[in-house]
Amino acid sequence: MPPELELHSIVKRFGHVLANDGISMTVDQGEIRALVGENGAGKSTLMSVLYGELRPDAGEIYLRGERQIFRSPVDAIHAGLGMVHQSFMLFPSLSVFENVIYGVEPTSRGLIDRRRATGEVRDIAERYGLRVNPSAKVAHLPVGVRQRVEILKALYRGADILILDEPTGVLTPQEGEGLFETLRALRAQGKTILFITHKLHEVMRLCDNATVLRDGRVTATVRVAATTPEELSRFMTGRDVLLHVEKPAVEPGRLMLGVEQLTVLDEAHRHLVADVSLEVRAGEIVGIAGVAGNGQTELIEALVGLRPVGAGRVMLQGRDVTHGSVADHRRAGLAYVPEDRVHVGVALGASLAENLVMGFQSRPPISRRGLLRLDGIKEFARRLIHRYSIKVSRASAPASSLSGGNLQKVTLARELSHDAPCLIAEQPTRGLDIGAIEFVQQQLLDYRAKGNAILLVSAELSEIRALSDRILVMLEGKIVGEVPGAEATESRLGMMMTGAHEEVTPRAVTAEGVP
Amino acid sequence: MTSTLADTSTESEAGTVAPIPRWSAIRSRARRLIAFLLSSLIGLVIGGVIIGITGHNPVDAYRALVDGALFGPNFVNLVSTINRAIPIVGMGLAAAIAFRAGFFNLGGEGQLVLGGLASALAALYVPLPAPLLMPAAVLCGALAGGLYASFAAFLQFRLAVPLLISTLILNYPARDFATYLTNHHFRDIATGMNETHTVPDAARIPLLPGGTELHAGLFILLSILLGAAFLTKRTTLGYEMNMAGLNPRFARYGGISLQRLGYTAMFASGAVAGTVGAILVLAEFGRYIDGALTDPLYAWTGLMAALLAGSGPFGVAAAGLFFAALETGAFGMEQTTNVPQELAQVLQAIIILLIVSRTGLRAGEDRTG
Repeated sequence: MPPELELHSIVKRFGHVLANDGISMTVDQGEIRALVGENGAGKSTLMSVLYGELRPDAGEIYLRGERQIFRSPVDAIHAGLGMVHQSFMLFPSLSVFENVIYGVEPTSRGLIDRRRATGEVRDIAERYGLRVNPSAKVAHLPVGVRQRVEILKALYRGADILILDEPTGVLTPQEGEGLFETLRALRAQGKTILFITHKLHEVMRLCDNATVLRDGRVTATVRVAATTPEELSRFMTGRDVLLHVEKPAVEPGRLMLGVEQLTVLDEAHRHLVADVSLEVRAGEIVGIAGVAGNGQTELIEALVGLRPVGAGRVMLQGRDVTHGSVADHRRAGLAYVPEDRVHVGVALGASLAENLVMGFQSRPPISRRGLLRLDGIKEFARRLIHRYSIKVSRASAPASSLSGGNLQKVTLARELSHDAPCLIAEQPTRGLDIGAIEFVQQQLLDYRAKGNAILLVSAELSEIRALSDRILVMLEGKIVGEVPGAEATESRLGMMMTGAHEEVTPRAVTAEGVP
Repeated sequence: MTSTLADTSTESEAGTVAPIPRWSAIRSRARRLIAFLLSSLIGLVIGGVIIGITGHNPVDAYRALVDGALFGPNFVNLVSTINRAIPIVGMGLAAAIAFRAGFFNLGGEGQLVLGGLASALAALYVPLPAPLLMPAAVLCGALAGGLYASFAAFLQFRLAVPLLISTLILNYPARDFATYLTNHHFRDIATGMNETHTVPDAARIPLLPGGTELHAGLFILLSILLGAAFLTKRTTLGYEMNMAGLNPRFARYGGISLQRLGYTAMFASGAVAGTVGAILVLAEFGRYIDGALTDPLYAWTGLMAALLAGSGPFGVAAAGLFFAALETGAFGMEQTTNVPQELAQVLQAIIILLIVSRTGLRAGEDRTG
């Protein structure tokens, strides 16, 4: 029997960059295949080629032994492929079934047959164990359920091969577990799944086989049962990578950041952050865990002076900065690595040097009496580029020419160079390669070892656990619990994040949309 | 616009991956120039077809246009092109200074009018000794324009009125206020026109030696041009303006007060517009004449130059000079060939559309590359 899917010597070139350099892979029916590789290894390009979004420059695609030529995703969908994108393609204001049938609506006499549509959607949902209420409005559904709707959409269009692009990035651990259950159920029914990820523990837990890409080529195809995360990361990076950072013990020192009963309100005077108190001491990393959208962003914005404080107090090294400007906070000893590094952390249109000197522009060696000192700037930029191994040909290159990992290094280099005693780092490793993650985490630990305080917000529980001395859990704008870093397990944190052990019924997990 | 700070020769000691050719900056500038030339050429061809349709000889018309812009006896036409370029480039720089920092100043016309009026009134009624009178009058013009633009910033920051709207709307009261003052309070009744008395000679911006109509306002403009270039490339304030213009969220996150920067940029922008008004009054007319600053649409042509050139001072100057040449050339064309000078405006519009469409294309390419 021919294999379900065969890619043969796929080549895709962008200008002079070879994104896919002769990639071949074979996937059997009923298999969950991991496609792993660092950012820029060619995973997304390969999947876009497979899904008909890009035409390959060379190479062939076979489904069950038959040669396929996809001119657009429509062809690919016809041939039985389905894609679940990283960012969902759903209409929030429409119901589940309306989203599912969109574009392929069952009609009777020119009108959409709603009864038949809901019935069909319900049938498919039941057959594959995807618990969703077809008439629920998508806007009201938690992220995990929205993802189920995406999968349902693909299945409704008759997909036999499902491509999932970094599907767990937006999910809580519990939701992630739910997704894995779903995928295993789909496999049991004979569906084939391509699972794109860079999280190796997911590969180990879920997948049958793994294809590893590096620099546009396949470096290995292995049976998961016969490999280890260390081996996979070696195939991915071409070198040995520390998957677990070493965290030396540091005795907490004096209070650096003190927050007392902080409240942040939106325009309608609803509480985005309610009554939050926390302390971060010298030599300490305090992690904030929580499902995205539970007030972490607003809390941090208020702490750095980007958002007005409704009530409460923020003290930096004993100085009250509650209602101060960003500049006031920075003067009081705060550095900040923002969550959105592309839109906040850098100016893409500016040069690397210009990005590196932000915050330093009013003092030597960058300027004197309001005049920039070009030598000083060049030297400063060169030092940081060297120290943080930012891969760039020259300091005057535009920031837009840098990769995501290098952009994060730019932000980190700049903020750590302030030598501020207190650092707030939001999602410092999101979207980075294994190698870059290791680098960033090591930098944070070094910063802590120098006696600085770090407040860390991360969606990666493994990162929060690996780095934090204490972990605070945020839910609906409140701190709902604190766990010493050493005692935190993913499941315990996950329970607290969703309010499962509390007496509250939090919005994030209400069973709305689940019959 | 990317590499204003670091010297292009900076090489990192770090591992270099896929070296970005040092060429890229030069190449993009060259591409921009080529786009401009190509668009102008296509514009001229389309304009030629239109001239042909109206029954004139395009070659003759264009010869007359070039002659009218650049030559004439003793290069008199070149001089009038330069004199016309002074307000256009000046207003272009005024707009560009605000753009650069990410703020819109569509109120150049109002600031120009108030600057011109203020300089005329200062020259007429402020008792100052001769050598100080002219500089003081120019300064008053700058101050008036700057304060008026700052008022728009005040509306934005205090009452959340978008600058795009406030600056545009504030043009009208400025114009009407100037008409009212010249009409009722400071009118030179002898001339029968709606204009002020002639300013004293000491307040006039002198002609340059050489017997042409070139005046010292050219030097004021050149110092504004060089000042703007120096500001953007060599000062902390210029750096902060650039960053705020490129990404305001980044600037704010870095601790820059966008409000303070907004007031500064708007004041500077308005002050340049006011200075242009003062130059026109003190060099060209010798008095404030109602409508003389607004009818030739200097503010709007300057604004277009700023939009086209992407807020780099020298690009603005080049674009402004080009538009001035097109306009004076059209006068000459009308006189010698009967082709109406309005055609120059059609040409201008076509060229602008072509350039904008080309830059739009390029931006799209950049994103995928």
